[in-house]
Amino acid sequence: MTEFEPKIVAFLCNWCAYRGADLAGTSRFHYPPNLRVIRLMCSGSIDVVYVLKALLDGADGVLIGGCHPGNCHYQNGNYKAMRRVQVLKNVLRQVGIDEDRVWLRWIDASEGKLFSETVAQMVAELRAKGPGSMRTSWQLWQETAGCQLSGTEARSSK
Amino acid sequence: MKVEAVPKAEEGNILEASRDFLGKLLREGVVDYLLVPMEISHGRTVVQTLVKEPAHLDKANPFSPVMPISSAAIVSQLTIDKPEERLGAVLKPCEIRALIELVKLGQARLENLVIIGVDCLGTYEVEDYARLIDEMKGTAEEKGMQVLADMRQHIAEPDTKPLPVPLRSACKMCNSFTPVLADITLGLFGGENVISVNLESELVEKLGVEVKETADRQKSITQLVDSRTQTREQVFAEFREKTKTIVGFADCLDTCIRCYACSAACPICYCRVCFFRTDTFEPESGRYYRWVDQEGALRMPTEILLYHLTRLNHVALSCCGCGVCESACPRGLPLTTIFQAVGDGLQKALNYVPGRSLEEEIPLATFKETEV
Repeated sequence: MTEFEPKIVAFLCNWCAYRGADLAGTSRFHYPPNLRVIRLMCSGSIDVVYVLKALLDGADGVLIGGCHPGNCHYQNGNYKAMRRVQVLKNVLRQVGIDEDRVWLRWIDASEGKLFSETVAQMVAELRAKGPGSMRTSWQLWQETAGCQLSGTEARSSK
Repeated sequence: MKVEAVPKAEEGNILEASRDFLGKLLREGVVDYLLVPMEISHGRTVVQTLVKEPAHLDKANPFSPVMPISSAAIVSQLTIDKPEERLGAVLKPCEIRALIELVKLGQARLENLVIIGVDCLGTYEVEDYARLIDEMKGTAEEKGMQVLADMRQHIAEPDTKPLPVPLRSACKMCNSFTPVLADITLGLFGGENVISVNLESELVEKLGVEVKETADRQKSITQLVDSRTQTREQVFAEFREKTKTIVGFADCLDTCIRCYACSAACPICYCRVCFFRTDTFEPESGRYYRWVDQEGALRMPTEILLYHLTRLNHVALSCCGCGVCESACPRGLPLTTIFQAVGDGLQKALNYVPGRSLEEEIPLATFKETEV
């Protein structure tokens, strides 16, 4: 059996993480080809809906790469990204999705080495975890068993 | 300084006493307009009504145990462009909390607003309330009074005086049913068949109220807080047990038709244009076929989980527990439980309580440079 290869969707900011990826390439640093990169102008421009969309549609992990704190091209976009990811991870944990499949990392334009190491590490960890729980959403809906939570009687009288 | 008082009015008729008090607010120029729940359809339901003439308050029922919508959104409409008019808005505690969140989001203004908070005994589903009124005898006024009297009795003796129909699930688990951050409070807890008011002392003479502490008010509140908190914890524990896996979470949403009624009803779903109502996630038909080519089968409409998880991320921090999402849901999905339970976990993690104070910023709308 071939080894499980995780699919990662990477949202990289134009000024730091994406250029870090570029530098990794020009510097010939190798990293596993599991990444689908989406370039953004800023990590702060990402809405969680896109991270969720990736996870729910079968990505095994999502990497969000931004500038180091203090280095944001737009002053503070990365701080905003950080809060959003913090909320996202909390919500994921509470609804039974593995929050460790979402990575937020600060990677500078000069850190090609760090970029390749980050990807290698993420791929290794996701390989160990196995496929994400959302790989086939149809299967998930077939497993649902309906829901009767207490406290909802007023509604069922409708 | 705020003082406790009682309006001088006919003994026993709490609706008349509250209308009289609200009328004085208009007549004495404390406010120019009032937004207040008004009975329509012979008392079978209420609608929020904007009133200028005190004479039109004859059907006002500030304590109505039914809440077709959260009025926070209406107050947003009436205050967002900083009007000159001074508005008094009669709001339930959860509506005030939602309003405070909207103010922080820049979607409502407090400058010319007097918040008249009311003690909330809980609310029934709109359909249940109408049925309840239909089955009772007497005038609309008598029925309205009787419903409130029954609820007060139930709160005093929960074991021997059951409610005729269950409260909305949001109200069953609500443990903050007295107004916070109201300028004037109309109180129902404690006392015998009277209402109390809590207001700035300079208004006492103007409005002709009598300064007086209400007996047992705090005790009555504490008792109900305790029992509601217990229910709340139970509901949360059950939900958390269920949602240890994503399948359990999907269970709670299995019959969702993605009609967006929950987001339309939600007072704090704050985007002016929701991207679920744009074509962002409605691609050309071919995309669905390519999608199903990979998966083998595809639930239609798609994106049920995406929609609810996105809404959780956007609003759970500010969720005030009004439960109008669940009441609006044609499928009766347990949305209050989902948003309150996840909201509770999130709010605790970020040390944030929605509607608690104006100074506290919504964690998603701010950051600290020291927090990295």
